[in-house]
Amino acid sequence: MPRLTMKAMVATALVPLMAVPAVAQDYGNYDGYTLRVKLIGGAQYEPLYAEIEKWEEMTGASVEILSRKNHFELDREIKQDIAASTLDWCVGSNHTSFAPQYGSIYTDLREIVSEDALAGFVPLVLEHGTVDGRLVQLPRHSDVSNLFYIKSIFEDADNQAAFRDEYGYDLAPPETWDQVKDQAMFFADPPDFFGTQFVGKDEAITGRFYEMLVAEGGQLFSDDWEPTFNSDAGVRALSFFVDLYEAGAVPVGVPNYLWDDTGLGFASGTVAMNLDWGGWSAFFNDPENSKVAGDIGLIRAPKGSAGIRTGWSGSHTFSVTETCDNKAAAASFVTFLTDYDRQMVEARKGLLPTRTQVWDDAKAEFASDGNDFLVTVFETYQASMAEDAFTPPLIPEWIEVSNVLWPKLQAAMVGDMSPAEALNEAAEEALLVMEDAGYR
Amino acid sequence: MNRFIRRHQGTLTPLLLLSPAILTMLFVVAIPLVFSFYTSLTPYRLTRPESIEIFVGFRNYVRLFGNDDFWAAFLRTILFLAIALNVEFILGLGIALLINKITWGQRTLRTIMMFPMMFSPILVGFQFKFIFNDNIGILNNALQSLGITDQAIPWLVDGKLAMFSIIFAEVWMSTSVFAILLLAGLFAMPRDPLEAAKVDGCNAWQTFRHITLPFIMPFAFIAMTIRSLDVARAYDIVAVMTDGGPAGRTELLWTMIARVGYENARMGQANAMAYISTILSIAFTYYFFTKLVAARRYMGGAE
Repeated sequence: MPRLTMKAMVATALVPLMAVPAVAQDYGNYDGYTLRVKLIGGAQYEPLYAEIEKWEEMTGASVEILSRKNHFELDREIKQDIAASTLDWCVGSNHTSFAPQYGSIYTDLREIVSEDALAGFVPLVLEHGTVDGRLVQLPRHSDVSNLFYIKSIFEDADNQAAFRDEYGYDLAPPETWDQVKDQAMFFADPPDFFGTQFVGKDEAITGRFYEMLVAEGGQLFSDDWEPTFNSDAGVRALSFFVDLYEAGAVPVGVPNYLWDDTGLGFASGTVAMNLDWGGWSAFFNDPENSKVAGDIGLIRAPKGSAGIRTGWSGSHTFSVTETCDNKAAAASFVTFLTDYDRQMVEARKGLLPTRTQVWDDAKAEFASDGNDFLVTVFETYQASMAEDAFTPPLIPEWIEVSNVLWPKLQAAMVGDMSPAEALNEAAEEALLVMEDAGYR
Repeated sequence: MNRFIRRHQGTLTPLLLLSPAILTMLFVVAIPLVFSFYTSLTPYRLTRPESIEIFVGFRNYVRLFGNDDFWAAFLRTILFLAIALNVEFILGLGIALLINKITWGQRTLRTIMMFPMMFSPILVGFQFKFIFNDNIGILNNALQSLGITDQAIPWLVDGKLAMFSIIFAEVWMSTSVFAILLLAGLFAMPRDPLEAAKVDGCNAWQTFRHITLPFIMPFAFIAMTIRSLDVARAYDIVAVMTDGGPAGRTELLWTMIARVGYENARMGQANAMAYISTILSIAFTYYFFTKLVAARRYMGGAE
């Protein structure tokens, strides 16, 4: 590339960076105050916490981290706090899927965070953080899945010819889930190579089934909260997973897979296509960890038969408790943790930002570093976060409904019952959950 | 008053001295037990603290009696317990007998033997989850490379294999409890009966069967009591490796109770389950204690 073009690109890339206001935001003065917080812990969440001391310096307050646990343990702890009325802390990590369970313990952030601070967020993501009309959480980073694939096997001439002979259309990165199914069965050569894979237990498979249900034109519940996932669309959605499993197009262990299994599986080079979140991108493209580094294609999640793309999404967020003794300090803290600079810190690690400006600037920064792969990643995920993303129903019973659904989804997968039987049984149990909760 | 104290001094002093213990027991054991039993009679949800005031009688229990999944998990826990305890006992006995024979490096070996117990059960779960992974796991790759199979064996998916895998992880972690207690038994064993047996012409098997084994059985029953309580509460390893799946094939009592109590936040229902499951622990403890008393009486008789 000519040096001049390179310079021009770098200069263009830096324009948005320069457009950011140079004056640091005023986070207030809370001299001597100790803010008590409960945060989600884990390798990918930690770099942000290294920034906390900057907020302490700016405001004179100090932050006491009461716990730093994985999300499920934190969820357990918060439920215990609700039960024991020990909500004597101010800021907690939260998640869009979990937030509705906590009732009214978190305050409406629209009352304590300025409109200016909220204006920079992607509007759809803020909408996902709203429960019963109250903005109970400020999104930190988002999560949606797109399809990674091994480029070379799609470009291979022999594969293209053989695929055309067998299926009657050209082999290309798939636009629909039907094509994914064809291609997965075509590429599969168990136990050495698999067409695709999916997470197969806990809320993970419920989410995957749910997004496929939507893509097939179905819904989990009717308007008056009767479970409707046992519809034709539901059977089609579940059959997608069952058919792939029965055909051996996915590893035989998938009913037990979670995110680490699918991520490491794709990096091992034994899986052709992998629907996954953006957080794995850097890992997949790192030759030290991944056998497919440098050979990865990425497209937006394909469409179901209803013409809708799958887009099960959620965001990691921060909330402020109603019982907080200094809501202004807490608001300042969560605003700080989700401000422009902090989101850039997380974006550089490959996490998907929730501020429009950060999407653009992070992309520009990757481009100036010559990291074309991460640019593609951010372009693809930005498009799906803006257009395809949808959350599960934001009701407190989501996890409980998930817990009656996923064992039945597994039962259909491993052949204990047919997809229709499995969904009918799950719908009966889910109806009980909804009745117990007073929806019907 | 003084006269009252003087007159009852004989009976009051022990009560007074025991009162710290009685109060501690009351606050640490009795009150939580009564409270959790009460919550099992309510539709208590962790996220709705006010629901603790609604009394529903034995509704949670009645529901459980008609819940096939719960009883399947109950029976599966008994099976899990029975297999894990027996395998751990046999392996632990073997290890203890072998280590007892060693004259050099015994201390080092004893320490090494304890290593698996030093890991957190969650780590052990992750370790075995990846060993047994069908696609990228070491075990399947080794079996395929050695030409033993050309299939990916679904260790954590097939019902029987998944139970086997979880039991394997449990046994790997805790066999040393048996080994260490049985070894202590062997160390404490007097030499005289062994020498007398030798003089009487007993062979090695007869000496082991009639002298060594009866002597260390009380130690074995203590280990079994401890481990039966542990295994009946098995949670971490199972939660990480399969979380009770697929399709409930490895669901044990505590994976179910934790899901209902915390994830679904239905603590009332979970406490009802937990109360029924304590029957299991009480039954096993009672059984092993009876065996322990019998084994001691047998030893007493032998003396």
